Amino acid sequence: MAKPKVALYWVAGCGGCDVAVLDTNEKILDIANLVDIVLWPVALDFKYHHVEAMPDGSIDLALINGAIRNTEHKKMAELLRAKSKVVVAFGSCAYLGGIPGLGNFVSNAEIFKRVYQEIPSNANAEGTLPQTHVKVPEGELELPALMDSVLTLAQVVKVEYFLPGCPPAPDAIMKLVELWATGKLPPPGAVIASDKSLCDECDRVKEEKKITRVFRSHQIVPDRKRCLLEQGLLCCGPATRGGCGQKCINANMPCRGCFGPPPGVVDQGAKLVSAIASIYQGNTQADIARMMDEIVDPAGTFYRFGLANSLLQRKRFPAPQGGSAK
Amino acid sequence: MKKISIDPITRLEGHGKIEIFLDDAGEVQNTYLQIPELRGFEKFCEGRPVEELPRIVTRICGV
Repeated sequence: MAKPKVALYWVAGCGGCDVAVLDTNEKILDIANLVDIVLWPVALDFKYHHVEAMPDGSIDLALINGAIRNTEHKKMAELLRAKSKVVVAFGSCAYLGGIPGLGNFVSNAEIFKRVYQEIPSNANAEGTLPQTHVKVPEGELELPALMDSVLTLAQVVKVEYFLPGCPPAPDAIMKLVELWATGKLPPPGAVIASDKSLCDECDRVKEEKKITRVFRSHQIVPDRKRCLLEQGLLCCGPATRGGCGQKCINANMPCRGCFGPPPGVVDQGAKLVSAIASIYQGNTQADIARMMDEIVDPAGTFYRFGLANSLLQRKRFPAPQGGSAK
Repeated sequence: MKKISIDPITRLEGHGKIEIFLDDAGEVQNTYLQIPELRGFEKFCEGRPVEELPRIVTRICGV
């Protein structure tokens, strides 16, 4: 019997998800015995026309990591969707937009200006910006265009499963592969992780949920046994799905939400604002103003990984400044 | 003029393509390396707290 076909692909990612697959160590050999890997750019050579030549629905499982940042990503996501029976948004970028989703706090015009015209290390005296079509003496060159906004994979194509994590842990990857190989995957739409919040799983001692001031992570050395939030460090645990193995918490660092919202929470950042507001012990306008000052980057903290997936999705700009609000 | 596209290049981490233009004799006339990838870390890191950057810029490349 022919082995099932698996594709691994990256769009706007960092390659960390691909390395996490390799971090399954010798179990990668089990995966390789179990399936035919038909596409994996980080490890195998292939060209786009090879994928185009595959019959529709011929790939049994596609694991796609990365956000959708440009038109090439969208095209490849659509192509792999057509070729695949099951598509998994693999990792926080594909699921939530991830760190590249922070690009939705700025406009494309601002990105181009900063990256190609202002950065001191640029050798670009003419201030040339990338063009989607460039005429050269020999013909024409084409580049993909940036999308107006960073999108999640599910905002572009139908996605059956979501595997959160930046990156997903090797044991979570093996669990996904095992569930799939044994036909035990939950109904489509499921997030393959815990159904509890990180706070519900966290072993730290929780006493009184009250804070009078917020600290930045370099300002205190937190007690390793006590709840970080109760010590005044902004921790995204109350609004983040568990199942991550608490790597950041165990390193005495507060959660930044890479597993996305827990079940029942629509907007991770809004939930965090609500959680922080409910434990803050401030009565006067001045108290509240002080706390607002102590939280130096609320949007970038509460939507660190999930901006593209949030109700806000992106910062809105008046039309003339560019960065249209699609 | 004939064009050979190597798209994507797979012997690197990330995304890239090479366009090779050949003349009528089949000799290489010119070659262009193109990098289609842009996420804009240089811009969207601005305004983020400095102590948070080690957990943001590590996602430039995770290989």
